[in-house]
Amino acid sequence: MNTAIEIQNLKKNYGDTVALKGVNISIGDGEFFGLLGPNGAGKTTTINILTGLVRKDEGITKIFDKDIISDYRFTRAQVGISAQELTQDWFFPLDRLLYFQAGYYGIPKEKAKEQVDDLLYRLGLEEKRNSRLRQLSGGMKRRFQIAKALVHDPKILILDEPTAGVDVELRHELWEYFRELHKGGKTILLTTHYIEEAEMLCDKVAIIDEGKVIKEGSPKSLTNQSGKSGININISDKDIDFDRLLSDFTYTNNDGRLHFTTQEPEENLPIIINLLTNAGCHIQRVETTKSSLEDVFLSLTGKGINV
Amino acid sequence: MNWVGLSTLTFREVGRFFSVYRQTVIPGLISSILYILIFGFTLERRISSIDGIPYTLFIIPGLIMMNTLSNATSNSSSSMLQMKLLGQLPDILQAPLSSFEISLAYIIGGMVRGTVNGVLILLVGVGLSDMTVAQPLATIGFIMLVSWAFSSIGLILGQMAESWDQLATMQNFFLTPLSFLGGIFYSIKMLPEWAQGASFFNPIYYMINGLRYTILGVSDSNPSTSFIIAIIMTIGFSVVAIMLMENGKKIKQ
Repeated sequence: MNTAIEIQNLKKNYGDTVALKGVNISIGDGEFFGLLGPNGAGKTTTINILTGLVRKDEGITKIFDKDIISDYRFTRAQVGISAQELTQDWFFPLDRLLYFQAGYYGIPKEKAKEQVDDLLYRLGLEEKRNSRLRQLSGGMKRRFQIAKALVHDPKILILDEPTAGVDVELRHELWEYFRELHKGGKTILLTTHYIEEAEMLCDKVAIIDEGKVIKEGSPKSLTNQSGKSGININISDKDIDFDRLLSDFTYTNNDGRLHFTTQEPEENLPIIINLLTNAGCHIQRVETTKSSLEDVFLSLTGKGINV
Repeated sequence: MNWVGLSTLTFREVGRFFSVYRQTVIPGLISSILYILIFGFTLERRISSIDGIPYTLFIIPGLIMMNTLSNATSNSSSSMLQMKLLGQLPDILQAPLSSFEISLAYIIGGMVRGTVNGVLILLVGVGLSDMTVAQPLATIGFIMLVSWAFSSIGLILGQMAESWDQLATMQNFFLTPLSFLGGIFYSIKMLPEWAQGASFFNPIYYMINGLRYTILGVSDSNPSTSFIIAIIMTIGFSVVAIMLMENGKKIKQ
């Protein structure tokens, strides 16, 4: 897999405040990558350096193997950014703003028309194409932000908190759309507070805290490492030789309350129940627990993501 | 060179001020008409002529220049500050546009607004008086040149300012007084000697007199000096505006 985004030892200070302490991230072409971290962890600074809004102090930042400063025309053309902050405009209707955005990327109006029409339709903004931004609801503004990021059909899409402040229904619609874009071959870099969002969408996530990546991997591998997944079974029979019966599993027995430590509780549950019922056990209660990225985040940083 | 990007941003800048022409074009026209009617026609009874030119005609080039440079300055400065405050600046800073292209688009936007306002007031002046323009092409060329210089100043101010208050301070405390003291309503020969000497340090004095020469054929300053100063200002302020954009100190972190 080619590397779409390469960040090595990225450092940035704002005066005396250290924002990035040497961030290392590598995102493959076509990957859906999540950057998780609490406020002030360095997510937006990393993105802003990548897109030319903030100057780095030190480090290597490349997009498709080209330096973001010396080859800025190439690298910026590859990237579309849906910023966290919603843009405002007092003067122009939505479609003209999208034509302007395409134009900045070197695409003339006549060539951008199809893409603009398609995005307005796909994001449910067609009826508002002649409206001004101030006339839109918060959710519509968020969708416009995404349309703006896609108008030049970039290979890399950066979504900085793309579902912040939107209702549940729209959040699900947007997730579906992001999946479609990903299937269509786009590399997506997502920063989010919603761990569920990263868990559902991302192939790979990096957890960033206090300006440093502290863990990286697929959501599944990270949750597996947390060791909190398992199965709890309460039984009434206490005279059974559990050690022989359940020798293939790691478990504890606390007065008939069996706790199995397993990374795949759903797969192992039927096997364990089979073994116990065949041995004549009377099962009173069954419960599976699955650790989430939230647990991983908590155990790594010692704090919640929304601090 | 990203030509499509440059022309898009330029059209946006020009479109922006045309879309609010009631704020950007009409006020200058109204105030100039009032100046001509009130100052010109009433004061002409007391000051019949300056350098052989009827007073009403004498003030028209100054009014044109005052509107030209204030509109050129405020277009690029307010547009830049507005983009900063409304969060639109990242759209262009993250695009494959160079600092030169971004600066050029803003400067051209201000230059067009300054020129449109200047030419409209020239036409109003011709309509309200029996003024004939001595060198029409030189007049329009000089208006464009000064518009470019002051649009560059506006772009510098817009990048430096962090609030509307700061921008208004720079315009109200420097630009407007210098315009009035540059000889819109008088010839510097009417001033005491020390004030005449002070006027030579006011660049707007040269702009007003340069334009007065192209329209009326009279000028307090040497026309060549006015032209050279306009050229130096145009190049100098354009370079500073572009360098400031490239440096990005006030617009990037």
